[in-house]
Amino acid sequence: MALDLGMPILVVDDYQTMVRIIRNLLKQLGFEEVDDASDGTAALARLKNRKYGLVISDWNMEPMTGYELLRHVRADEALRTTPFIMVTAESKTENVIAAKKAGVNNYIVKPFNAATLKSKIEAVCGA
Amino acid sequence: MAMAEQARTVGKAPVTVRPSLIRELIDIADYIAHVRKEIAALRANELTRDRLPMAHEELGSVVEATAGATNSIMTAAEEILGLPDDKNYRAAVEARMNDIFEACTFQDITGQRISKVSESLRQLEGRLSRFASAVKAKDEGGVDPTEVERRVRAELLLLNGPQIKGPATAQDEIDALFS
Repeated sequence: MALDLGMPILVVDDYQTMVRIIRNLLKQLGFEEVDDASDGTAALARLKNRKYGLVISDWNMEPMTGYELLRHVRADEALRTTPFIMVTAESKTENVIAAKKAGVNNYIVKPFNAATLKSKIEAVCGA
Repeated sequence: MAMAEQARTVGKAPVTVRPSLIRELIDIADYIAHVRKEIAALRANELTRDRLPMAHEELGSVVEATAGATNSIMTAAEEILGLPDDKNYRAAVEARMNDIFEACTFQDITGQRISKVSESLRQLEGRLSRFASAVKAKDEGGVDPTEVERRVRAELLLLNGPQIKGPATAQDEIDALFS
């Protein structure tokens, strides 16, 4: 199954530089429909208003972290199947396991490159 | 009262001591006990053993990361300048641009490292401020409930920030957990 390059993707990160980097990488991969949010609370508001094919979220944000956002998404009947990739500097094994238990689909450690992002999107979105 | 009794029986023979002097000695003893308690609350050993070395290490990592990123960006820019003007030019430039995007992720990580150092400085400032205040006004020490709440939240949500000397778990190991 080929990747749906038209699917909307939500990038969640409190560092605008990181949002810009991920946007550019996604654009390189052919994705044009990219929205962003600066933390979990803002992301949830966006998720309620638009159906996204993928969420790419940082972990370390305030007031709502990426981990809390993930738990909210998985607890919401309308959002629970939305693919979710954590992109973060939080790479302790216990953190990864906690995210996996909470229902994350994949996990990328910063810094990363376009090839890594592409392979994770393909793994999650079924290329 | 125990101190007053001790004061009265100091030396070989009981002596007559003015009650006001006894009161003053008790106040001095209490003040010394209070100051000792406040010195302990500074937790100077923890600062010198854990927090300050961590701050040094984090700042060293920031310097290293920024130097590494600058080097990567400069290398990519130099390679772009040296590319031949042929049909592969655009693809070659895009490849170098991706290297630059990847190098720019240092800003996120160094920002988090500096936040950890700031937090240590905030702790140090808080303890010193409390100590100074306690010595002058004999304020009681205590635990800042806001700080307790913040720490509990950070522990529950595993908000530890980036690890020293790169990721604690490599991407390959993480991939294995998801395979």
